[in-house]
Amino acid sequence: MLEIKDLHVTVEGEDITILKGVNLTVNKGEIHAIMGPNGSGKSTLSKVVAGHPEYEVIQGDILYNGESILELDPDERSHLGIFLAFQYPVEVPGVTNNTLLRESYNTIAKSRGREELDPLEFDDYIQDKLELVEMSPTFLSRSVNTGFSGGEKKRNEIFQMAVLQPSLSFLDETDSGLDIDALKIVANGINQLHGKDDAVVLVTHYQRILDYIIPDFVHVMMDGKIIKSGDKSLALELEKQGYEWLENYATVNGEAK
Amino acid sequence: MKSAVETSILHKLADDNLESVPGILNEIRQNSFRTLQTSRFPTRRDEDWRFTDLKPITRTDFTHIEEAGVKSPGDLSEYFIPESINSRLVFVNGEFSSEHSSVESLPEGVTIQNLYDNLNDESAARYLNQLADYPDDIFVPFNGLHFTDGAYIHIAKDVDAGSPIQILNIYTDAEKPFIATPRSLIVAEQGAKATVIEEHIGLADNSYMTIPVGEFKLKKGSHIHHVRIVRDSINAVHVSRPVSYLEKEAEYHSYTITLGARLSRNEPKVIMEDEDVKFTVDGLVLIDGDQIADTHSTLDHRYSFAESHQLHKVVVNGSAHSIFNGKIFVQRDAQKIDSFQENRNLLLSTEGLVNTKPQLEIFADDVLCSHGATIGQLDPEEVFYLQSRGMTEQKAKEVLTYAFALETIENIEVESVHKLLIEEVKKYTEANNVPKVTA
Repeated sequence: MLEIKDLHVTVEGEDITILKGVNLTVNKGEIHAIMGPNGSGKSTLSKVVAGHPEYEVIQGDILYNGESILELDPDERSHLGIFLAFQYPVEVPGVTNNTLLRESYNTIAKSRGREELDPLEFDDYIQDKLELVEMSPTFLSRSVNTGFSGGEKKRNEIFQMAVLQPSLSFLDETDSGLDIDALKIVANGINQLHGKDDAVVLVTHYQRILDYIIPDFVHVMMDGKIIKSGDKSLALELEKQGYEWLENYATVNGEAK
Repeated sequence: MKSAVETSILHKLADDNLESVPGILNEIRQNSFRTLQTSRFPTRRDEDWRFTDLKPITRTDFTHIEEAGVKSPGDLSEYFIPESINSRLVFVNGEFSSEHSSVESLPEGVTIQNLYDNLNDESAARYLNQLADYPDDIFVPFNGLHFTDGAYIHIAKDVDAGSPIQILNIYTDAEKPFIATPRSLIVAEQGAKATVIEEHIGLADNSYMTIPVGEFKLKKGSHIHHVRIVRDSINAVHVSRPVSYLEKEAEYHSYTITLGARLSRNEPKVIMEDEDVKFTVDGLVLIDGDQIADTHSTLDHRYSFAESHQLHKVVVNGSAHSIFNGKIFVQRDAQKIDSFQENRNLLLSTEGLVNTKPQLEIFADDVLCSHGATIGQLDPEEVFYLQSRGMTEQKAKEVLTYAFALETIENIEVESVHKLLIEEVKKYTEANNVPKVTA
């Protein structure tokens, strides 16, 4: 489904290379976790996949279902079924959640060959999605993320994911800032949404969320590269030992030993 | 009398035929004529005018309205607010139109009429031209010298006017540029309540100048909700002076929405006459092309205990230019003042220009005054967020511009006006003229 090949990325107009040759393959039905210290490039990777204009790919490629998506705008990528849950969801005063979601749903539905829904049908459709993340229907009539607490914003992202039914979801630190109850709700929502036809990539600092969402693969990013991949036991090891032992590992690998 | 100042178009067009009007109006004209003769037309050397390009006035050959060949307005019903079906005054180029006005079956104690027919009214005699205190200003005396008709609204003690009152100023097409001088006097007696919707609409894209002067007197405990909508012709000049005097426990909430006019200069003033008042002087400006929109406001806190609110939001596109100068005075011994002022500017184009100057002069020590001014572009992060939810870049920018503008019109209580403004905001943002934000 997703193939990232030797991806090198800079910030547009600047000289700093943030991603320095990332390789990652994600197949249908899989859950991947990308872990790593601050500044390792995890969030950048998610944004680049979603098409953030601030970043420039200077080498490598991103293939989605076999085709390069580098030339596509963020909205075009979303129409193909790529979703990014934001680390810092944006407040949009004056636009209700309901309006945004119906508009998004219908735009994406159209390009993915699903049926568009009128306001009444959409109301029905949206009800059980609300329950999935245990959100009150009053959220729908509130302006997008405006005045939401940190936890509510994160839940709202997963709610949007539930409504839009993406094929590939990058969840950028969706777990940070959540208390343990909210974390369970969010994790439970993600588990229910995930099936054999879609893939989820969790970007996270902490092993904590992986107690509730069991990843098929765990990758460690450091200094713009994935330096180690493994199964869920790698996450536990990281929790125990921190990232330091891997830094040595990275250096060892770096110098052709 | 020999003029001591350089002659301007306003001096040239000053009418010196002062005989043919009734008592109080005659007196106002005499006074205005004298003031006008000694008032100087502003230039950019004046501090209060240094950012404002006055060429739309100085380079236009304005003429007397009688000689301008003004056209008749035709059907105006599309501009009538349904909520004001029986409380509407219509002025065409400043002249009262009884044909288009409708002031029937008003509640007892509510007077909505042509000012000219009420000059002997006690309130008119007492307040007309007494409140519009703009020192060294040439525009107020020009209006004073030329108005004959006007809006006169009087709400008796403890009366709620109920339906909103529409003051509809229509400007028609004409062969030559002309000057109109709309006038209004609104007096709310003790405990009275009213909503006033004042609109300025240009029917064509001709050049004209309108100089509306509005005087508001709010007596003890009265409430006025005042909406001003500037939809003048794109080649018009709009110079307005709305002034409000607030007695104890009065509330005055005003919202000015500026969409039209080549050049607009709005100088609202709110003056406390006693303690314990609340007032709002909010504004929304949406401009494009070569429009200039200038707001110079004065909020004068002369007594203790007041809450004032001024949110001035501006969206600039094309090579348009916005100017904001918000004066907030807190006089000596005016304590316990809670004053909020914020000017937020959204620049959509690289050629657009914004000048902003909050100006706080505080002479009391127990006050809370917050002020701020920001100039920014649409946040690329917000655009990206909406794009990642499926919206095109263009649509995302429209939605965000709309959201930016919306905050200032949320408090407008008249439903049809609220809807109209939402439509106007949408029209502005959808005009397909939002250029690409350069990263």
